[in-house]
Amino acid sequence: MPTDFALIGHQESWRAASDVLAVLRGPDHPPIPDEEVPEILPWIPPRAVCHIEVRSVLGATAHGLYIDSFIPPDRLDSCFLRENLGRVREAAAYASMEGAKIVSLGGFSSILIEGNLDRLFERTGTVFTTGNSLTVALIVQGMEKMCASQGRDLRLATLLIVGATGDVGSGAARCLAPRVKRVLLHARNPERLYKLAAELRLEGVIADVAPDLGHLPACADMVICAASLASPSLLLDGIAPGAIVCDAGYPKNLSPGSRGARVFSGGLGQVTAGMTFEPDIHRVLYHQPVPDVLHGCLLEGIALALEGRFEPFSQGRGLITAQRVQEIETIAARHGIHLAPSTCEKAIN
Amino acid sequence: MELVSCVHPSSTMPASLGVNALLWQDVLSQAVTGEMIAVLNYSSLAEICTGQEEVADALEHADSERGHAAAFAAEGAKRGIDVPSNVGAKYWKRLRAAFLRQIEARDFIGCLIIQEVMLESFAVASYKRIAQVAPGTMGTTFASIAIEEEDHIDHAMSILRAERALDPQRFDEKVYALHLEVMTTLAQMLARDDKDCNCELCPGGCVKPMLPNVGLTSSELRGASLQHYLRTLDALGLPGEMTLAWVAQLPV
Repeated sequence: MPTDFALIGHQESWRAASDVLAVLRGPDHPPIPDEEVPEILPWIPPRAVCHIEVRSVLGATAHGLYIDSFIPPDRLDSCFLRENLGRVREAAAYASMEGAKIVSLGGFSSILIEGNLDRLFERTGTVFTTGNSLTVALIVQGMEKMCASQGRDLRLATLLIVGATGDVGSGAARCLAPRVKRVLLHARNPERLYKLAAELRLEGVIADVAPDLGHLPACADMVICAASLASPSLLLDGIAPGAIVCDAGYPKNLSPGSRGARVFSGGLGQVTAGMTFEPDIHRVLYHQPVPDVLHGCLLEGIALALEGRFEPFSQGRGLITAQRVQEIETIAARHGIHLAPSTCEKAIN
Repeated sequence: MELVSCVHPSSTMPASLGVNALLWQDVLSQAVTGEMIAVLNYSSLAEICTGQEEVADALEHADSERGHAAAFAAEGAKRGIDVPSNVGAKYWKRLRAAFLRQIEARDFIGCLIIQEVMLESFAVASYKRIAQVAPGTMGTTFASIAIEEEDHIDHAMSILRAERALDPQRFDEKVYALHLEVMTTLAQMLARDDKDCNCELCPGGCVKPMLPNVGLTSSELRGASLQHYLRTLDALGLPGEMTLAWVAQLPV
């Protein structure tokens, strides 16, 4: 069976890692004791852990692999950059050797490699995408849906984007900033921050930079966290009461209902025609109230595989445009890949 | 071949070697015993080889492994440590028995899989880790023997790759059957807690809890060994998701 796509990911908690190992051990073997998992996982080389079959509403089917890079959850940190890059590269090589036509990079893999995709091992016939365009599309859809459900007018909103200069943050800014009253941009790199603000102003956007989360003007009533927050309370103390907050960082660390904010998980989509994982690790990784949910970055590769467009759709950093976001959104929708319902309906406190 | 096991806490040791002397004695004992198992295995293999070149290869490997055993014993002698070996000790005996079953079946490929893929993976990976922390020339000896073990695997790997190409499914089933026996035994040897302390190589308490004293852990030795094993199976062309499930199912 041809390998249409491969998804490269890793687990963001020891609980999830334990659950994956338990599935691999099967029902005849007792689970590995929790305290043993951190001793075992770091030694596992990147490799496929399951086969995936995805169905399109148009009747097409795509076959793929989920490849775990086995980055230990406690090493998702810049001091392990070299080691983690090595793991992602090895996972990419594995995908190529398996003949995957398109490879989507999930979670931290995408963050690590988004500026270095050209340095991945590539065999003829394998292309890589960060998947960030569809992630942005699903974030935007989620914000729109939340606004509608809360009776808010997007045009009157002040939108704060945390992690604004990253691939997802800048893509979300380009899509949403022209549609709100004012945008506040936060990121660690001031040079890139001012550059993005200048770019948006050229489009007529009222864009301000907010380099310090501790001194926000407290007027932001819509927030996109495109970067994981070291101190969620710092953000939540500085935004308008009842603000809508899209937690799209990785790993997600804002809890629903935090300090009166209406927090929801952004960037998740659903394959409405269904998908099958063998062995079924999906059930232990996605504890969603609806089935067939995946992160947008992974769904981008799937959507492109179903479409038969094996191309590096999202590459580089800061190159995502509103047009490209709309394009991938249309492709995904054509195959029945939409915003996950739970994104808006279940996560609101 | 090296695997850490047990040593009697009251063994007499030169006082100058300190508390870690017991640990190094056991490390060397396991290494010597593993090498002697390899000597026996290659000697047995020579008996079922049909070509003169194959016989010569097997005997050469046996000689080489004997040299490794002597080198490890010499490291003990340098430090005044007696290095006992016991190829009849529980786990080693089981590994030898698995190999002999392949000999009885005159299954040359089965023999290579056990010795070159499974036992050598554990030897190379654990020797490399030990080399990083072992004192003085002992570290150098472990390092150089790890390299030698790794080097002589190449020829066997090309034979095994050719064999798999003939019938991948049959080959993979054979590897799995051997994995269940051999790798389960190796995993048990390196399990973190050997509560019964019944490895039968040494009469006393397990030294595994002492490993952190010298910057090692049994988990590290086990992890490095299984990683090496997985990569060796990858190099043979076995599907990675299948071999991962095999390894995930080993006892911990």
